[in-house]
Amino acid sequence: MNPFVLGLRVMRADRRTRTSSILILVGVAVATILVSLLASLPQAVQERSERTGWQEPISTSEEDATMRVSSTVDHFGDTAIKRIDIAADSPKAGAELPPGVPKLPGPDQVVLSPALAELIKENPEAMLAKRFAGAQVGTFGEESLSAPDQLVALVGHQPTELTSEAVPVASLNDGIGTSDGMLELLAGVGIVVLLVPSLVLVASASRLTAARRERRLAALRLAGATPRQVLGMVAAETALAAIAGALLGLLAATPLHQVVSHVPWAGATWQPDDFTLPVSISVLIAVLIPALVVLAATLGLRRVATNPLGAANAQERQRPKAWRLLAIPVAGLAFLGALASGQGSQLAVLGGLALVVLAATLAGPWLTSVIGGVFVRAWRRPALLLAGRRLRDDPKAAYRASAGVVLAVFTGSMALTVLGSIEAMAGGGSEYRDNVLYVRAEADSAKRIVRETNENLGQNGLRASAISVPMTYLSDAEGQQVQGMVLDCSSAKELTRFEGVTCPAQPSVLSPTSLAGQLSAEYEPGGQQQRLPADTPVWSADTADPVLANMALVDPALLPEVADKGTVTVVLPTTPDTLEVARSALASAAGGAEVRSLPTMLAEQDAKLADLRRVTVIGLLTAGLLAGASAAITAAGSVLDRRRTFGSLMAAGTPLGVLARALRAEAALPALVATLGAGALGVGVGFGLLTLIEGSIPMLNAWSLVPVGLGILVALIAATAAAPTLRRVRSEPLSDE
Amino acid sequence: MAPQWTAQPVLAGRGLVKRYGNEHALAGVDIDVTAGEAIAIVGPSGSGKTSLLHVLAGILPADEGQVFLAGQRIDQLNEANRSELRRKEFGFVFQNGMLVDELTAQENVALPMLLGDVAKAQALRAAREWLDQLDLPGLAERRPGELSGGQAQRVAIARALAHQPKVIFADEPTGALDTRTGEETMRALLDAAAQTGAAVLIVTHDRDLAASLPRTVAIRDGRVASEVPA
Ligand SMILES: Nc1ncnc2c1ncn2[C@@H]1O[C@H](COP(=O)(O)OP(=O)(O)O)[C@@H](O)[C@H]1O
Ligand SMILES: [Mg+2]
Repeated sequence: MNPFVLGLRVMRADRRTRTSSILILVGVAVATILVSLLASLPQAVQERSERTGWQEPISTSEEDATMRVSSTVDHFGDTAIKRIDIAADSPKAGAELPPGVPKLPGPDQVVLSPALAELIKENPEAMLAKRFAGAQVGTFGEESLSAPDQLVALVGHQPTELTSEAVPVASLNDGIGTSDGMLELLAGVGIVVLLVPSLVLVASASRLTAARRERRLAALRLAGATPRQVLGMVAAETALAAIAGALLGLLAATPLHQVVSHVPWAGATWQPDDFTLPVSISVLIAVLIPALVVLAATLGLRRVATNPLGAANAQERQRPKAWRLLAIPVAGLAFLGALASGQGSQLAVLGGLALVVLAATLAGPWLTSVIGGVFVRAWRRPALLLAGRRLRDDPKAAYRASAGVVLAVFTGSMALTVLGSIEAMAGGGSEYRDNVLYVRAEADSAKRIVRETNENLGQNGLRASAISVPMTYLSDAEGQQVQGMVLDCSSAKELTRFEGVTCPAQPSVLSPTSLAGQLSAEYEPGGQQQRLPADTPVWSADTADPVLANMALVDPALLPEVADKGTVTVVLPTTPDTLEVARSALASAAGGAEVRSLPTMLAEQDAKLADLRRVTVIGLLTAGLLAGASAAITAAGSVLDRRRTFGSLMAAGTPLGVLARALRAEAALPALVATLGAGALGVGVGFGLLTLIEGSIPMLNAWSLVPVGLGILVALIAATAAAPTLRRVRSEPLSDE
Repeated sequence: MAPQWTAQPVLAGRGLVKRYGNEHALAGVDIDVTAGEAIAIVGPSGSGKTSLLHVLAGILPADEGQVFLAGQRIDQLNEANRSELRRKEFGFVFQNGMLVDELTAQENVALPMLLGDVAKAQALRAAREWLDQLDLPGLAERRPGELSGGQAQRVAIARALAHQPKVIFADEPTGALDTRTGEETMRALLDAAAQTGAAVLIVTHDRDLAASLPRTVAIRDGRVASEVPA
C-alpha cells in the first residue's frame, strides 16, 4: 500500500497520532514563520540601504566631481530630518539620478519627501520651512526613501554657499551600497541565535511521541514489514504534517512581514514589502524545513527499523561524558581568539557566536544529567525523584526541552549587557551648554554664517546673538598640548560648560590642565605657530568636567588675528521658546554644515539605544515564543510517550495534580539552572562583544538579569502543557494498547 | 436508604450498568465482597470483567447502580475523593505491571506511600520489607526493564499491598506469564493478601486457579452468569 494512503488512514483512525501530527504541524509552522522572517532580514536591510544609499554619497576626486554634497541630520524637536545640501558644479550633475529622486534642485530649490512636506505645512514658516528655503521643485518617490514616512530634504545651493563639510561627488548614484553594519551584525546574530532553537523546535516536534511510535513500528516490523516500508510510513506520516505546517507558516508570515515593516530602525520604518521574500526562497523554505523534519524523524527510527527487538527493550542509555563541559571554555577561547585576530570582523563574531551556541548544545545534556543526579540523591518528594530520574536517564531529550530557553536567555543577557554598558557610556560630548546650538566651519564661511544667522534672527524679532568661537591648539614650554577655545570669559560662562569658573580681571588663559612657560597657538595641527604674549596670566580653571579636561579658554585679546584663521564654531544660545526658530535661522545659513547641540546628540544616542533595545525585546520575545513552544511540545510529548504509566498511576489513585507537578518540575527545574548558566555565559559573551565597540566600559547591570526571569517564566508556562495532556490521558480507556 | 447486612461486605456493587454507546459492557451486576476473601472473576473476552473492576474501583463511573465501601456509597464521590480512596483503600495489579520505568523496584513500591505523604525513609523501608516478603531480595535497585515478567509482577503486587489496602483488584495479573511463573506469582499475591487481610478480586482465564479459590463469579454479556458457591 502507498505509504501516504496508509499514513492518512492511521491519522484518521488514531486520535493520538492525530494529536502528535497537530503538534508537529504547529511546531513546523512556528519555525517556518521565524525562518522566513530571519531570512528576509538581510534582504530587507539591503533593499533599504540600496534605496537610501544616495542620501550618503561617496566622495570622489576633484577631477571627477560634478557636484558638492553635504549629508547631515537636522532635528525638529526630537524628530530627525535627513538633510542633503547640494551644489552642482557642472551640467552633468543631474545626468543620472537615483530612482525616486525626481530632479536635482538648483540654487534656492528643494526636493522634499511627502512626510516632510506635510510637516512643513503643519508648522509656522520660521520654525521649519525657513531651513529649507527655496521653492519645492519635486517630491521624492518611495524608491528613494527608507520608509513612506521618512523625512528628507535635498536642498540646492550655489557652489560658494557650501561649507567645507561638503565633499566632491561624481554622481548621487555612487552612494548606493552604503551598509548598516550594526543592523547587519544584528541580523547575523539573530540568525545564529534564533535559527538553532527553530531547528530544535522542529526536531522536538518530529521526535514527538517517539517512544510510542517506536513500539508500534517494532510491532509492524515483527509482523513482517520491511524496514523500507516502516520508514516510508513514518516519513509519509511526518511529511503530511510538516508540509501542512510549512504552508501554514508561510501564510502566517506574510501579514507578519507587514507588521515588521513598522518597526523603526535608524530613525525610520520600512517600505511595506521590504520583508517580502522572493518566491524562490519561500519555496526553498517550504521544501527544506519539512525535509529536515522527515529526516530527523526517520533517522531516529532507523534503529527500530533494522533491529526491532533491540528497540523494544532498550533500557541502557549512555550517560553524557564530562568532556562535553570542555566545549564551553574551548568555544569561549575560540570566540575571544576570533575577536582578537579577526579585528572584530562580522564573520569572526558570528562564527564565534555559533561556536558558543554549539558548546551550549554539547554541555547542556551533561549539565542536565548532573542536575538530575542531584535530584535523584536529594529528593524529598516523589515529584523531584521522578524529575531527577528522567533528567538522568535521558539528559539529551530533557535538555531539548530547555534548549530554547537557554538560547533565549543567553541572547538576551548578552544583548542587554551590551546595551547597558553602551548606555553607561552615553552622554558627555559637547563643551557647550544644553541650550546652545553650534556649527563647525572654516573661518571664512563662519563669518558669513554668523552674519546671515543674525539677519535671519532679526527678521524674526530675535536678538542677533550668533557669535563665532575660533578653536586653536595650545602648547606650553614643556610640550603639553590642549585645545584652546578663543572666547571671552563672561561669554564662556554663559555659553559653555566653563560656567562655574571665576573670571580674572585681565585677558588670561584658563585651563583645567596646568600649563607652564611660554604658550603658543596653532590654527590647524602642525600649522604655523603664533606666540601668546609672554606675560599671559594662566589660571587654573577649577572644574572636574571630563569634557573640559583637555580644553583651555583663551581670551580673544591674546590672539587678535585668530578670527580669520583655522576652524571656527558658530555658536547660538537659545531658549525653549526660540529653539526651532533659532535652529532654522542657523540651519538656513549653515551652508550644509550640521547644526548640533548637546540635547540632539543625546537624543540621537538615545534613539540608537532605543532601536537596539526594541530589537532586543523583539528578539527575546521571539526566542521566548520558540522556547515556550519547544518546551510545551516536548512536555506534551513526554506525557504521551508515558501515557500507559501515567494512566495506571492515576488509576491507582495518584492525583493528576501530583503528576502534573512532577512534570512541571521536570521542565522547570533544569530550565532554571540552565538559565542561570546561560545568563552568565551571555554576560561573558556580551563583554566580549563590547571589546568591539571602541571606548565602551563593560559593566554588569540589572538588565542582564531580566532574561533569567523570562526564562523561568517561559519554562513554567511551557510546563503547564503537561496538565491538559494528562487530563486527556486520564479520559482515555486504561488498557487499550 | 443503605441496605443492612449481618456481615457487612467490605465492597458491594448494586445494579451496576455501564454502557458504551448502545452496547452494555455491564448490564446490571450485583456483587458483594466480604473482607479478606479471594474471588476469581471469569468469563469470555469482552464479557465485561475489566469494566466491572474499573466501576467497582471508581476508575470508571457507572451509568446506573451503586458502589459501597464498608457501607458507604462511593460512586457519587468526586474525582479527587475517588482518587484518594483508590490510593488508600484499594490496591491494583495490572496485566503488565505498569511500573514506572524511571523508578527502581523499591521506589515503585514506595511510590503510593510517598504520594500519600509518608516520609521518604519510612516509605523506602516499608517497600524493602515488602520486596523481601515477596521473595525479591537483591532486586530492590533494579529498574522494571531489568526484571523478568514474573519479577515485575511481584513488584507490582508489593506495590498494591504496601499501603495495606482493604481490596486488591487484579486484572489478568498473570496473563502475560508462562503457566508456572503465573502460578507462583498468583500464590504470592494470595499469600500476601491473606496476611494483610485484604480482599482480592482476580480476573483470570486460568480454570485451575479459579477452581482453587473459594469463590468464583462468572460474567457473561455484562451479567453475573453463575456463582460458585451459588
Ligand atoms: N473504552 C471502550 N470503548 C468502547 N467500548 C468498550 C470500551 N471498553 C470496553 N468496551 C466494550 O465493553 C465490553 C466489555 O469490555 P471489557 O470490560 O474490557 O471486557 P473483558 O475485560 O471481559 O474482556 C466489550 O464489548 C468492549 O468492546
Ligand atoms: Mg479485560
